[in-house]
Amino acid sequence: MKKYILFLMVFLWIIPSYAETTIDSTADHSKFEELDRVFTDATQITEACLSCHTESAKQIHKTTHWNWQYINPQTQQKLGKKNIFNNFCISPTSNYTFCASCHIGYGFKDESFDFSSQNNVDCLACHDTTATYKKLPGFSGHPLYEALTKNGKIIQPPDLTLIAKNVGKTSRATCGACHFYGGGGNAVKHGDLDSSLKDPNYALDVHMDKKGLDFNCAECHTSDNHNISGSRYNITAKDNKKAIIKGQKTNRTKSTCQACHSNNPHDTSRLNNHSKKIACQTCHIPTYARGGIQTKMTWDWSTAGKLDKSGKPITIKDSGGRNAYLSKKGDFSWDSYVIPEYRWFNGKVKFIEKKEKIDPTKTVSINKFYGSYDDGKSKIWPLKIFRGKQPYDKKYLHLLIPHTAGKDDSAFWGNYDWEKSFKFGADVSGVKYSGEYDFATTQMSWPITHMVAPKYDALDCKQCHRENSRLKNIKGVYMPAAHNIKWLDNIMTIIVLLTLGGVFIHGFIRLFLFYKRDKK
Amino acid sequence: MLKYTIGFLVGIVASLVLGWQFAGSLMFYEHESPYGLEETAARIQSNIKTLSHNGWALSGLRSPHKAVEAAGGTVLPVLLVEACSIKYSKPLLKDDNTRILSILMPCTIAVYKKDDGKIYIGLMNAGLVGYLFGSKVGSIMQGVADDQKIFIKFDDKKPAPPLIRTTPGGGKSGTEDTGGC
Repeated sequence: MKKYILFLMVFLWIIPSYAETTIDSTADHSKFEELDRVFTDATQITEACLSCHTESAKQIHKTTHWNWQYINPQTQQKLGKKNIFNNFCISPTSNYTFCASCHIGYGFKDESFDFSSQNNVDCLACHDTTATYKKLPGFSGHPLYEALTKNGKIIQPPDLTLIAKNVGKTSRATCGACHFYGGGGNAVKHGDLDSSLKDPNYALDVHMDKKGLDFNCAECHTSDNHNISGSRYNITAKDNKKAIIKGQKTNRTKSTCQACHSNNPHDTSRLNNHSKKIACQTCHIPTYARGGIQTKMTWDWSTAGKLDKSGKPITIKDSGGRNAYLSKKGDFSWDSYVIPEYRWFNGKVKFIEKKEKIDPTKTVSINKFYGSYDDGKSKIWPLKIFRGKQPYDKKYLHLLIPHTAGKDDSAFWGNYDWEKSFKFGADVSGVKYSGEYDFATTQMSWPITHMVAPKYDALDCKQCHRENSRLKNIKGVYMPAAHNIKWLDNIMTIIVLLTLGGVFIHGFIRLFLFYKRDKK
Repeated sequence: MLKYTIGFLVGIVASLVLGWQFAGSLMFYEHESPYGLEETAARIQSNIKTLSHNGWALSGLRSPHKAVEAAGGTVLPVLLVEACSIKYSKPLLKDDNTRILSILMPCTIAVYKKDDGKIYIGLMNAGLVGYLFGSKVGSIMQGVADDQKIFIKFDDKKPAPPLIRTTPGGGKSGTEDTGGC
């Protein structure tokens, strides 16, 4: 009986909650004739959207979000998910059926995907406001159309008809549906982006604070014809211009701190001078992964594939209950409140390319961050440096692309056979596999820009200005109290010792003369 | 005479300065942990459970940094592993003269991250504190101090145990996880 009462209470609460929703727009999509129908396929919704928003798919077709491809104007490198490696899941190439759950399109299962089709554009991935639209891995970017049973649980398909009538602006939840879960899970990749930012408090992020400014991602990552600013492929490391005035026409990205706060945001000139060489994030994001969710710090693929005595995959949990080992993926480590690593950074990043030769005896940088004290373009930036081991070809000396996900016989997550996995990956990607593989130590850097702490919790002086401080690896600049100039220290020590000696000798002479006079 | 008086006073001042300088490190001590925050706390909990024959039981696990966050601030994380032993607490609680020492219960081991990114374990020097209250309390607290050494003796070969998130002051007595004193 109690169950029925509870159900009724929940049901009665849900209905008015939809009815009372205020529309923060001049258009109420639930009243649109085009959307007043039953949708059985997500592409039907796109068709309906495009009947009014005639240019949007054409705009989407020009974006990195759609093409998973980006030409870096600085380095001319062809980047984007389709082209680069990482040291998390390594590469979506040969795994699109799985990875395309985070593509803003429908049907991206292999290289034959039609990037020119307008109806393939997924409007709901970014514009759903019900928080019920989900795309599971393994369906080539389509949502479920029928109920699915997975691990004993029944997963219902999203109600496309309801979602279509409730489209609206993007939100932290829509952007976060992919960006919080990059690298294969919550908080895996970025460290400063995880699901705790859906409803953060002031301590976690002063801008996104749910009870305060309540910024959506789009407040900073502004969009121009669906092209979102603030790409990690082309980072503005040093924005030394004034704040952008609302309405001002400019080509500058608005997703820098200076775009709102200017380059002289502090009350004191000493701090403003610091900001000429130090990125705002360095002081104002003292630690990342502060939202109660640990971020993955290392991933060792070389241990993947171990099975138990009965031939079943193994799962080992760490003290916090997170996966520390999975047969599918290898060993991991996690951490929270992570103190960033700091580097000079001028905005130039060079990614390792497919077929590029590596030296497996050294740590391979998947993306190299450039910068120095004296290039005039660099600032000290906080980074998450993700470390791991991933496969490379012993003969050709380049990184390999494994085929991990899929229902076929070659997918590593099904058969735990690296040979088949690399052969399949090589056939699809064109990155040759000689038949001999090993695992190289790699690292990949990610700039930390979210989880901005309250100003009273920014770094204080002594967190940098002391020996072995956070900035101990920063070269080329003298930091008082942090760096020592040995000869200067020696001279000062001698001066102090001489002064002390002088005081003692003087005092001794005075006492000696006092007693001598007293005896007389 | 003046010489001796000056010498005596200088001696007192020097002792006070030295005492003031080293009191903190004598009363409390700190170890660097080779593990992460949660694993360190979990391994300490696991070690405490091995000493159930000495009456030890876990009393709770607190995260004081979360209270700071709830108030709008952010600090590096701290986990307080709380444990109590009826073997050591009973004689102290029984005597009116030593009941005041219940403020030291439960025994708390702090696990925290510092600005260098490393994890540290903070403990009270139970042996020294005990002897400040006389030989009876001293001998009881020496037992606590000996057990504390086992709390922080880690076996690398053992896999990471799960962190036991017990409610502070669970209230049960004896040797159950939420019990203690």
